[in-house]
Amino acid sequence: MSFAPELQDNQLLAALPAEDLEHLQPLLEPVELALGEVLYESGKRQAHVYFPTSSIVSLVYVMENGASAEVAIAGREGLVGVSLFMGGDTTPSRALVQSAGSGFRIKGSLLRKEFDRGIALRQLLLRYTQALLTQMAQTAVCNRHHTVDQQLCRWLLMSIDRLPSNKLVMTQELIANMLGVRREGVTEAAGKLQKAGVILYLRGRIEVIDRSKLEHMVCECYEVVRDEYARLLPWTATAREALAMDSGARSGLRTRGP
Amino acid sequence: MSLLPRRTGVVVAPANLPIDNRLVAALPRAERARLLASGKLVELVFAEVLYEPGARIRHVYFPLDGFISDIAAVDGRAALEVGLIGREGMCGIAVALGVDVSANRAMVQGAGSALRIGVVAFRRELQRSPALQRLLGRYAFVLLTQLAQTAGCIASHVVEQRLARWLLMSHDRAHEDTFSVTHAFLASMLGVRRVGVTQAAGTLQRQRLIRYARGRVHISNRRGLEAAACRCYGTDCDTWQRLLG
Repeated sequence: MSFAPELQDNQLLAALPAEDLEHLQPLLEPVELALGEVLYESGKRQAHVYFPTSSIVSLVYVMENGASAEVAIAGREGLVGVSLFMGGDTTPSRALVQSAGSGFRIKGSLLRKEFDRGIALRQLLLRYTQALLTQMAQTAVCNRHHTVDQQLCRWLLMSIDRLPSNKLVMTQELIANMLGVRREGVTEAAGKLQKAGVILYLRGRIEVIDRSKLEHMVCECYEVVRDEYARLLPWTATAREALAMDSGARSGLRTRGP
Repeated sequence: MSLLPRRTGVVVAPANLPIDNRLVAALPRAERARLLASGKLVELVFAEVLYEPGARIRHVYFPLDGFISDIAAVDGRAALEVGLIGREGMCGIAVALGVDVSANRAMVQGAGSALRIGVVAFRRELQRSPALQRLLGRYAFVLLTQLAQTAGCIASHVVEQRLARWLLMSHDRAHEDTFSVTHAFLASMLGVRRVGVTQAAGTLQRQRLIRYARGRVHISNRRGLEAAACRCYGTDCDTWQRLLG
């Protein structure tokens, strides 16, 4: 984790035309994000927009009674801080680092200026906003209709899609918070996956050892979001994943994007 | 019910009518006039489907007195309402974000009328008008905020609170205290079983907050209904007011 991140490791930044990225470069500051770190609290003003490279940030909606539910995640395919360039003031959710790693951050006011100036940047960030809207809607559906087991499968797949390996460092408590369920629910669901030979779970480390089985067990929400990201942000790893999985089914996709 | 004839199509040249969509009304005069000139006033017919998931969006809609449900699908069927769009908003925000394929189904839930603009004309106006860009950027942020809230609400509030919230949101967008809605539809919108809706509606009815019979809901005590709803309703209204009011 001590290696300096590369701009290209964030797929939104990597998708920018070279001159736009060059222009942005001096404004981007590399950061290390620690597990459990809160980048901003809901209802507060935020100063920076984050572009994760190897970290994953969870957007968590906190209810008035303190209960919380994850509404979206963002990793190297995206950014955290949409409100800053969409003209919002405070942020609706808490941004919590769910997987430690690196990224870049930029002052909101600076990005806002670039957003107003650069057509490519603006188009990219707006498209990302639409992808995020879709992810949130599907998460809402998933929270309502699917079991903790299925939600855990979705969460694991979405996470490893954003990581360089199949391993993640995670406590059950954090997972429980994100899925908005009790810890015992997560323990039980993780136990089932372990028994089925899908994951190895030991002292806060989860390794996915049978991805295809996990894909078989997950609810359709995973695929809906993955495909939508592939359609809207066709250069991302998630998109490549989608293509690899059902090659031939989506001929339109290959011709789009950089 | 709408006073317009019962068909979808051009009814009156919109420039001659007061336009009661609050986004359109917030635009500077010249830009508002151009936007109006690029669209048509159409009737929204109850249960009409405007967008299907995965299909190309051909028009955007600024409702005047009807309202539209934004419905996410699950397991191949419409399963959950993730947004309700009336005169405070716009249906087809994806187009403003550069995307012309719909992710969800959009279905008319309250009959009425809307300003309808073809995607090409709408894009042209958007490009010409920084005020429209800023306005819809803020509106997209409002939607994002409400969606985050809805995802949280669905995960942690009971059906009764969510039903009360839904009724209030519909009441705000309808022009009357009575509107049509079936059990099956409510169940689908709230993502619960029909018996759950029956029980929740029964509770609200016993408290004399609503009357509900034969697919018609009447709001009898709005203040009481506000107390019965989860706080999400008030938060939603505040978000809109703060950013667009």
